[in-house]
Amino acid sequence: MSTQASTTVAANEARGRRSAEDVENSKTHFRVCRFIIETGVKLGMRSVPMATACVLYHRFFQSASLLVYEPYLVAMSAIYLAGKVEEQHLRTRDIINVCHRYFHPDSEALELDGKFWELRDSIVQCELLILRQLNFQVSFEHPHRYLLHYLLSVRSLMNRHAWSRTPIAETALAVLKDSYHGSVCVRHKPQHLALTSLYLALQTYGVELPRGEREWWQVVCAEITKAQIETIMSELLQLYDMEAKCT
Amino acid sequence: MERDLLRQSVSYHGENLLSLLKCEQNENPDFKNVAADLAKTLNQRDKEDTSPVLEQYIARKADLLFAPSWKSPTPVDEWQEESGEAYAIMPPLEQFMEVSFEERREFFYRDVERGDMLIGRINSVRDFGLFVTLLCTAGGLERDIEDLEIKALCPIRNVPSTGNHDDPLSYYQIGDLIRAGVKDIDRYHEKLTLSLYSSSLATHLNKVKLGVISKEELPLHYTRGEMVATDCNETYEKLLEDSLGLSNPLNVDYLMAKLGISGTQTPSLMRGLQSKRFKEEDFGTAIRKKQSVSWALKCVKTGVDHFKSGRHVEAMNEYNKALEIDTNNVEALVARGALYATKGSLMKAIGDFELALESCPTHRNAKKYLCQTLVERGGQLEEEEKLVTAEGLYKRAVVLDDTFREAAEALEKLQIRIQKSLKLKEQEAAKEQEKSKTVETSAEKLRKILKEEKRIKKKKRKRSTSSSTSSDTSSTTDDDSPSTSRKKSKKRKHKRRRSSHGSKKHKRRVSSCSDKTLEDDWFPAPPNTSASYINQKQSITKLLGEGEQSWGKSRSEDGRGRFEDGTDRSPENVKDGSRLGGPDANGEGASGRARNRRDSSSSTQSEYSHKSDRFSKECSSQGRNRCVSERSRDEKMERAERYSRDQDDGRSSVGSLKKDLPSNLVDIFSQIAEFKKDKKQK
Repeated sequence: MSTQASTTVAANEARGRRSAEDVENSKTHFRVCRFIIETGVKLGMRSVPMATACVLYHRFFQSASLLVYEPYLVAMSAIYLAGKVEEQHLRTRDIINVCHRYFHPDSEALELDGKFWELRDSIVQCELLILRQLNFQVSFEHPHRYLLHYLLSVRSLMNRHAWSRTPIAETALAVLKDSYHGSVCVRHKPQHLALTSLYLALQTYGVELPRGEREWWQVVCAEITKAQIETIMSELLQLYDMEAKCT
Repeated sequence: MERDLLRQSVSYHGENLLSLLKCEQNENPDFKNVAADLAKTLNQRDKEDTSPVLEQYIARKADLLFAPSWKSPTPVDEWQEESGEAYAIMPPLEQFMEVSFEERREFFYRDVERGDMLIGRINSVRDFGLFVTLLCTAGGLERDIEDLEIKALCPIRNVPSTGNHDDPLSYYQIGDLIRAGVKDIDRYHEKLTLSLYSSSLATHLNKVKLGVISKEELPLHYTRGEMVATDCNETYEKLLEDSLGLSNPLNVDYLMAKLGISGTQTPSLMRGLQSKRFKEEDFGTAIRKKQSVSWALKCVKTGVDHFKSGRHVEAMNEYNKALEIDTNNVEALVARGALYATKGSLMKAIGDFELALESCPTHRNAKKYLCQTLVERGGQLEEEEKLVTAEGLYKRAVVLDDTFREAAEALEKLQIRIQKSLKLKEQEAAKEQEKSKTVETSAEKLRKILKEEKRIKKKKRKRSTSSSTSSDTSSTTDDDSPSTSRKKSKKRKHKRRRSSHGSKKHKRRVSSCSDKTLEDDWFPAPPNTSASYINQKQSITKLLGEGEQSWGKSRSEDGRGRFEDGTDRSPENVKDGSRLGGPDANGEGASGRARNRRDSSSSTQSEYSHKSDRFSKECSSQGRNRCVSERSRDEKMERAERYSRDQDDGRSSVGSLKKDLPSNLVDIFSQIAEFKKDKKQK
């Protein structure tokens, strides 16, 4: 009995600890993903390579532990690797420069000395580590192209003036970009993510589309249900709450 | 804040949203302006599903979502028929959604506008116009309207004529597919008027051709729609996945541009990621640039150390390395320029300094070194007699640094030199003009002379005096005959050759002046040029005599020439001499002169020698007075003495030279002698 009690207590404690740990971890992940996106903007990365970098990061830490690997180093290597995968090659020198400045604001540019080469070496080593951790499966399908095609289809349904005054495309793309702060981007299909961000954008502005036998989102994604859309939407919106907590 | 958008959103979500907005955005001044309006527009709408999370998010982000700057402007480009390869072109969503007949009709009439493009089939041709049943939309608008069977009229005034005077409507037949623009819409009565003139289309559709089209030209969204209609297995998803355009790796960038959103500056709703939070100097390119400059500077420093210790090769390597790291780095260019200048590659040095000054016009060292290098290069060019280029360089040096004394001095010296040469040129040119005048007039004079001679010959037969002729021979000079005389040209050649001795212009001037003095010694030459041709045959002998004499002169000159000038002059002179002897006396005047000119230019003498040669010619042909006024006397007197001595020698050697004349000349003499005999006989 006592052992049972202790195990349940232990289990509860463990669960509690895990959830606390999880929360802490997710905050760390949020901060690091924020770091990735910010660095991407400063390096002039396009949307898809930036998305790849975040996905690489999330997938890596699905199987690895934060206690063992330094997350910021993994992030830098993820950026480097993503640039290679998505054909927007970035120089390690630029990555190191921007990241160094991120951590030491208003500092002087790094000198070409031993420390610089050590940093570069560590990025390259970590890149190999990421590849091995992910079994060299580093090519992902992203929601962006689906979202853009859906946007065009929805645009044809709307009156052109209504479309031109409602920033639906901007909001949908913004929501999609922000979704990379959390692991929601790896837990759902890209078509669903695209659909949900568009749905969210339309809901924000209260746009009402024509209704036929089927709703537009039923046409676009045959097997999705309203509930699924709602779930993903709430996950997306949670990220905005997290921003307040993390930063 | 966009009032209409807010209103729309609030009316969709209801009261909850409004209260949340008030709560979250109460500090926002923009919101306060709008808040009053919003309360009025609220109508009781029972929404099935209230989502507080969504409303909370809208309320929090309202300042971003409803900001006027949030919406990016739509790009207005020329509309092009899409080929379906940049991205996947899908049939209208209406078709998949199976929107009802009435709704589709309603939406079509709501959304179609003047200037749109439509495609339809002609179903009847009347005398007042065409009736068209619409098939599909084109040029941007994508709707499923085929089964709506909307009929539109294209009146005859909107049909362009085909050129000949036939009825324009005869060109069209029932069943033709035509593409037309919407000219007018009556939404209430649901009537459409079409036009086949391009002017009826909106500006971004300008280039599209209206009129009869073929099946291949039907828009892709229509043809795909037909395919979907026939095959019920074809869903939107499947069609999209199978489409080629979806696999295009660049479709994301293309579509973002089509929608007007920047690829690298995508919007975000996170507070921390708003673009105004990022500083310019944190961006990758800015940091790289500063870093390159500092790395390059280190290389330059080590390079300068090498340079100071004399290791030029290593220094150049360091500079080149620095320029690889940072192209057009100012310090590296200046240092490399200094190295080039030290090694003597002045042009490369100048190039480097100029490049450095382009990026940093106030660099002190660059200016200083550039001035010095320009002056040095200018000096080099002066020695090569490229005076104008040198002047340009000096001017630039003075402009750059007006405290640099050497440059200013060198410039002044050079300018004086140029002015002198210009004056000389002007004088030569003036002389040339006058000479050419005399050339023209002397042709007339020659005619006169020949007429006179004929008369005189007749007189002479009567008189038969020979003594005067001999005196004439001695008295008449060779020099003052007009330049049309062919024999004169030979003599002139001699004269110039004589004058071409000596590399300095002074010498030449002296020599030509000395020619003048020679003539002074020899002949009291009358200024009237016609006098020399009183007896033509006598003038010939006299000229030939002169030719011998001057040839003799030139021979002696050659001797002198070997001492004074290089061997280059003398072989040329000898060549000239032989050429003189070679051709017969009669023909070669003009060509001889041309040869003279060629000779002078082929020699390594500068333009001055040429000028002074011509000058001497002028002198000899004109009065001596002008010559005198322009020459300085001192040097010439001294030279003249020497020359006169030589002339005396030459004169003495004339007799001996006669023996050495080439055979051609001997023939000529014999011919002349025969001629004389003939005349005497007559």
